Amino acid sequence: MPTQKYLDLTIVEVLDKFNPMKKLSWLTSLTILFAFGYASLAVGSSVDQAKRIHDRIAGVPPSATVLSDMITFIDNNNPQAAASLAIENENFYLVTLKNMVAPMTNVDQDVFVPLDDYSATFIGIVLNDIDFRQVLSGNIIFVGDPSLNLTPYAPDNNLHYEALESAINSNSVELSTALVQRSQSDVIPELPADATAGVLTTRAAAKAFFYAGTNRANFRFTLLNYLCKDLEQIMDVTLTPDRIRQDVSRSPGGDSSIFLNNCIGCHAGMDPMAQAFAYYEWDYDRDNDPMGELGRLVYNSSSEMDATTGTRVQAKYHINSSNFPYGYVTPDDSWENYWRASNDQTLGWDAALSGRGNGAKSMGQELAHSEQFAQCQVEKVFQQVCFRPPSDSADRSQIASMITNFKNAGYNLKQAFIDSSVYCMGD
Amino acid sequence: MNWDSTIGAMLFRFFLIGFIVTFIGACGGGSGESVEENPNTETLTASSYSGPVAQTSDIENFRINFWSNVIANNRCGQCHNENDQAPKFARTDDVNLAYNAVNPYVDLNSPSLSSIVEKVSGGHGCWLASNTACADTIAAYISAWAGESVAGNTSSITLVAPTSHDLVDTKDIPVDSSLFSTTVYPILTNYCSDCHAETATIPQSPFFASADVDTAYSAALSRMNVEVPEDSRFVVRLNSFHNCWGDCSSNASEMQNAIQQFSDAIPVTTVDSNLVTSKALNLLDDGIIASSGGRYEANMIAKYEFKQGSGSIAYDVSGVSPELHLNLSGDYEWVGGWGIRFNSGAVEDEKGKGKAQGSTSASKKLYDQITATGEYSIEAWVTPANVTQEGPARIVSYSGGVSERNFTLGQVLYNYVALNRSSQTSANGEPALSTNDDDERLQATLQHVVINYDLENGRRIYVNGEYTEDLDDAGGGSLSDWDSAFALVLGNEASGDRPWEGVIRLVVVHNRILTDDQIQNNYDLRVGQKYYLLFNVSEWVDLAEAFVVFEVSEFDSSAYLFNAPFFISLDPNAVPTGIRLRNMRIGINGKEVDVGQAYAKTSVDLDASSYSYSLGGQVVSTIGTVVAIEKGPALDQFFLTFDELGSGTYVRTSSTTVTPVTPADVPDDERAPTIGLRTFDEVNSTFSVITGVDRQQSSVLSTFETVKQQLPTKVDIESFLSAHQMAVTQLSIEYCSALVDDTSLRSTFFSGFDFNSGPSSSLDTAGRAQLATHLFNGIIGVAQDDQPTEAELTTEISDLLNQLINDCTSCSDNAARTQILVKASCAAVLGSAVSFIH
Repeated sequence: MPTQKYLDLTIVEVLDKFNPMKKLSWLTSLTILFAFGYASLAVGSSVDQAKRIHDRIAGVPPSATVLSDMITFIDNNNPQAAASLAIENENFYLVTLKNMVAPMTNVDQDVFVPLDDYSATFIGIVLNDIDFRQVLSGNIIFVGDPSLNLTPYAPDNNLHYEALESAINSNSVELSTALVQRSQSDVIPELPADATAGVLTTRAAAKAFFYAGTNRANFRFTLLNYLCKDLEQIMDVTLTPDRIRQDVSRSPGGDSSIFLNNCIGCHAGMDPMAQAFAYYEWDYDRDNDPMGELGRLVYNSSSEMDATTGTRVQAKYHINSSNFPYGYVTPDDSWENYWRASNDQTLGWDAALSGRGNGAKSMGQELAHSEQFAQCQVEKVFQQVCFRPPSDSADRSQIASMITNFKNAGYNLKQAFIDSSVYCMGD
Repeated sequence: MNWDSTIGAMLFRFFLIGFIVTFIGACGGGSGESVEENPNTETLTASSYSGPVAQTSDIENFRINFWSNVIANNRCGQCHNENDQAPKFARTDDVNLAYNAVNPYVDLNSPSLSSIVEKVSGGHGCWLASNTACADTIAAYISAWAGESVAGNTSSITLVAPTSHDLVDTKDIPVDSSLFSTTVYPILTNYCSDCHAETATIPQSPFFASADVDTAYSAALSRMNVEVPEDSRFVVRLNSFHNCWGDCSSNASEMQNAIQQFSDAIPVTTVDSNLVTSKALNLLDDGIIASSGGRYEANMIAKYEFKQGSGSIAYDVSGVSPELHLNLSGDYEWVGGWGIRFNSGAVEDEKGKGKAQGSTSASKKLYDQITATGEYSIEAWVTPANVTQEGPARIVSYSGGVSERNFTLGQVLYNYVALNRSSQTSANGEPALSTNDDDERLQATLQHVVINYDLENGRRIYVNGEYTEDLDDAGGGSLSDWDSAFALVLGNEASGDRPWEGVIRLVVVHNRILTDDQIQNNYDLRVGQKYYLLFNVSEWVDLAEAFVVFEVSEFDSSAYLFNAPFFISLDPNAVPTGIRLRNMRIGINGKEVDVGQAYAKTSVDLDASSYSYSLGGQVVSTIGTVVAIEKGPALDQFFLTFDELGSGTYVRTSSTTVTPVTPADVPDDERAPTIGLRTFDEVNSTFSVITGVDRQQSSVLSTFETVKQQLPTKVDIESFLSAHQMAVTQLSIEYCSALVDDTSLRSTFFSGFDFNSGPSSSLDTAGRAQLATHLFNGIIGVAQDDQPTEAELTTEISDLLNQLINDCTSCSDNAARTQILVKASCAAVLGSAVSFIH
């Protein structure tokens, strides 16, 4: 037990004397009731509703003025306006959105990570009411306002965003005013405009998902984060396996039934999609920087040929080729969505798109234009605000309604927060 | 598509054997760097030969490598001598006449295709328990005899039209073993489990009488012919007097009846008459053998191919006497496509784990042949079962126990390891040479691995034809300390306590190192028997003898490999013109397979612009795919289907769209709570918003950074831990402390409260009420249904202060004490569910 002093008392004494669970009986009982799953409290008054809306959207209680205004809106039967007011709170961006996106930016799904170009771009797209589908395909990046004189954006470190976060924490600036939109291709000269794909081609995403390996990680985590599906949920062993690369053993451990019953189900659909990332690589000093902290995103443009493959395709796409020499040899960055022909078409692919293309931008668009993308965003917000997944037919109807509203609002994610918070503000 | 390159690929494949053999000639005999061969001089009775000398060098090669090995009375010489049965190629009176006699029956270009080999493979005169092993041994004699002749071979595979079979309705073997369990299985467990079960005293693979019915079913599938039960392997073996339990004929009938009963209960799969199909083929009956040699083996001294697929002996088919056969024991099983799997699952006792071991006397062949040259090469095709085993786990070892060896090829996690006893290393062959950890060379998939050892370089490891560039720091040394009393063992240590799990499909020991080119050559030839299957599609393309040709092999026990299909008409004058080939699929036993249809998106136009008979037709696809074995290679009937081929079209109905199932409502008592915890940043920001204290305030920031990861990261209230409360308490204290210590902030938050007097004055009844009101207004704000009222809060604060004041009789009654008590009261409310839960 630590002996650190608090208010001249040891931590033991503090807990003994000040522990609200012990000393404040009404709080104790309240907490215990909650901890044991007491489903809900009766939330009836417009005061309670206003406070809940604000708490759920911004993560913090409202000021007296804002609360008063929100109550008024609710009493005037306009809770949507009350929710919109809550969204104006700085903590909606700094706390709610940042912690919503943070685990998406790394393979460990760690929430304790600094602000970076991935999370800043995610927040910025919501902040500026941009069509949220651009998150997977836009030539967009959000950086700190130049007037703040922060450490400039650099392709080989995250100091710019860490400086921005420091400035925010010291209350010298607010995140919502500090973020400015730029063209990703301007900020990251390595990327031509047609090679940008929203957060997928940010430095942070590259560091996390193009690091070593085979670049499949960037596809898998995109599926997980933006379609709310892991590969096992959409695996289909009957898909055509002609694009599965050579590095996938067809007889792992000497047993091909493992491949035919499991591996093929994910790789048949994933490999032709992950081919979109064939020209991207995370370049770092393996000897002096083995974790790639100081690495940078590289992209083989039309004039850059990889020495190993002899094409623009990165060498990692041809690694372990002897595992199954008869497998697919990636020749370019063309991708195709085999799930469109799958029995499981419930992801709702956009009939206006062709389901094939070249590069990450069009592949990101393919994902973002699916019905599942819209549903995933809305359900994630619902869960964020209501603290539970949709649980009954009323909830599912609400989700359907929210998807429609989300689309009608130009895929503005704020709309989903407004709708969810109103739905879950209590009667 | 780049047709220049694909035609080049076609050429390579079509004339593969010829090119490879030519290549061998260049790297084997033609190189000035090559070493002298070390011919097999061991003979059985040749030393007593007193007839005419060999008239030519070829006859001399015949005498040394073939004749001397077959003239013994327990081999061909028993019958094919000068006095008995023709052809008299084992006669001992005149080696020149023997040479003349055998020539019609051997093919020096393709030794394994020699008619004498074919004869022996059928069981004629075989001196071993395995006809396959005898045939391979004879082929090895011929290969050794051929020597440079083989190297000059440029012959190619000749594609011959197979007998066409129409598709017939077949029976689809059930996946489930329940029908088997009530029909054939009882006979197997009754009469065969003394040998063909893992638990038998001397277990004999395959385990079709296993106590586990699914294991038994899997092993029995290829031995039951549901179309013609009397042709079932089970029935044929009993009719061949294999371990009958009574009258063999009756036993065979009993087995046949059981299989008939099994068959009768299986519905017939009707072939869809609308499909555009090729003719049907069986792998073994209709396939053209595509691999008949080409490996570099001039200096091999022991070779294991594991072809026989059953029994408890792995035969040395090197043709180099004495044969170093290996006894299989423990937990092992034969696998399809030639190989042995060593397991560790069935037998708990480590001594019972699988291995294949030769006798020390026969193993002395390795000692004799290798110490004579001072160098060797161990070559193997292996599939490690995992990348977690270590020890090193012994894959190939010539040793006497865990601490004594001549050489070992082993596995440690992702690495291959080579141990060798020499003047530069210990008796245990250490220090070991390992592949680099970072390279992760060893993968749990089929790999070709070679260990070279010579005086110049010491040990060198090659994986999949590539030198790993891991240097042997010990260097090369003398092998004079080798021990001739060790045994060759695969899959384990001689002492049985360093098991390796995985599949070995080929092991060859050479008493010279293989050159880089030779290793690459042997790797390129892969392992196992490959066939060409010619699927007749003339019906649809209006061309004579038109075929889609696949290279097919048994990939392992579970699947076939279909590879690199091409189109060709065997009529040299036929040329396709604008024939559309679309969406090709593989069918087995009357239906398209569900999994592995890698050619389902094929789109090729067969046309003169891309077709060349002399260059091997036209490529359809360059990739390969694996499809599941159903009844086994002897029984499975393959065919192809096309959505479009020439005049044939098949309209494939679109996949059925699956309507998502609406999930059931979650019962009320199972629903997630509608309230939750504030997460770490929310707690911090909430405290900052409530108190007005900057998050960057030094003690606040320091505490938050300390407890941040102890605070909740999820809102789920059921994940609430006491650790969360500890962290919240610490942080709330820091915020309240900072609030009270900041005179400006406190004068706003606790407006009018007297911080400059002792508790007796500041926290009297009125003071306490004032404090409670400030805490209520500042933290709770306005009255809410789910929050305590101001009166409740006042009562609780008053009670708390009573205790704090009364419990401390020695505390001063001064302003400092008042501030402490205010901080305590503030923290009690701020860190409570009031702000922690929402």
